[in-house]
Amino acid sequence: MKRFLLSLLTLFVMVLCTFAQNNGQAEIIRKINATATSMKTMQADFVQTKHVKMLGDKLVSRGRMYYQQADRLRWEYTTPYAYTFVLNGQRVLLRKGQRSDVMDTKQNKMFREIARLMMNTVTGQSLTSGKDFKVSIATSGSEWLATLTPQRKEMKQMFQRIMLHFSKTTSMISIIELTERNGDRTVIQLKNVQKNKAINAKNFEI
Amino acid sequence: MRKTLKFDTEKQNLWRAIRGWQRHFCVMFFISFSILLSAQSVFPHTDGERTRYAATIEMQRGYLSGICILLREGDTIKGSLFNEFGISAIDFTYYINKDKVKLHSMLPMLDKWYMHRVLRHDLCELFHRLQEGETSYRNEHHKIDYQFIPLPNETDQ
Repeated sequence: MKRFLLSLLTLFVMVLCTFAQNNGQAEIIRKINATATSMKTMQADFVQTKHVKMLGDKLVSRGRMYYQQADRLRWEYTTPYAYTFVLNGQRVLLRKGQRSDVMDTKQNKMFREIARLMMNTVTGQSLTSGKDFKVSIATSGSEWLATLTPQRKEMKQMFQRIMLHFSKTTSMISIIELTERNGDRTVIQLKNVQKNKAINAKNFEI
Repeated sequence: MRKTLKFDTEKQNLWRAIRGWQRHFCVMFFISFSILLSAQSVFPHTDGERTRYAATIEMQRGYLSGICILLREGDTIKGSLFNEFGISAIDFTYYINKDKVKLHSMLPMLDKWYMHRVLRHDLCELFHRLQEGETSYRNEHHKIDYQFIPLPNETDQ
């Protein structure tokens, strides 16, 4: 009888912990979503570090990003190469050197996925798109760490997991870590983040 | 007096010849050095050497662009090609003595049996070109253009 009561108590505590954890996770997601909703624009510098597992090497690229609610994003690399990605609605512009290509995300499956991923990770919306990712959130020092495990085939083929670091004070994303199936890792760090500052519409022109 | 004049003229001629040779030597040295430098910069020749490229593979239906890193390890060249966002496209090893390429992992859209054969062949051909100091290769049969432009070292980090 004693053993039965002890088991019951353990089970109850476990259920309570899970409930509290889920409740805590839901609360964090709610805060992040509220920030994303109130964020009309965002602009920042970024440092992208690609770690190549096979070569034990890394490549650091730098650039600037601009986001405007609801579906405008400019992601521009300045060093060591010049490359610009502009998403405006369903259209995507890719510019490299003298070459410019415009694509429709409706027609190009791969760019539809990239555009969705970039947009949703920058705003933190990936946390609520249950069809795309299984989400678990942990607290680490001054940040929340969200681990996203891909659920869709297209994403599963490319990534093992995606980790998003959010600042507890601003509820905004600061670091994006993409781990690929081959073990390579890409870490994108956002710096000098400015929220709700006017952005010239030319940045999103296609 | 006449002897002195003759000596001066001979001296001037000699100096002119030396200057001519100097100029010739400088030009030759500069050309050789440039060739050597360009050949070295487009392919990793020594063990542990790495070379980075802005890479473009252009097919009839579209193109793939990004960065390629090559690392020399003994008689092999290990390579990784990834797009500007850092997403891996191809990981491979080139065996210099066997003149063969082994593909390790590929982007799902490229991971097709017919692409494997073409890529293995084309990467071998591309490495031959890079060793000769050239930066491009065209597969005439499949109409695929490869361009690997070395990235400057000082901007790597």
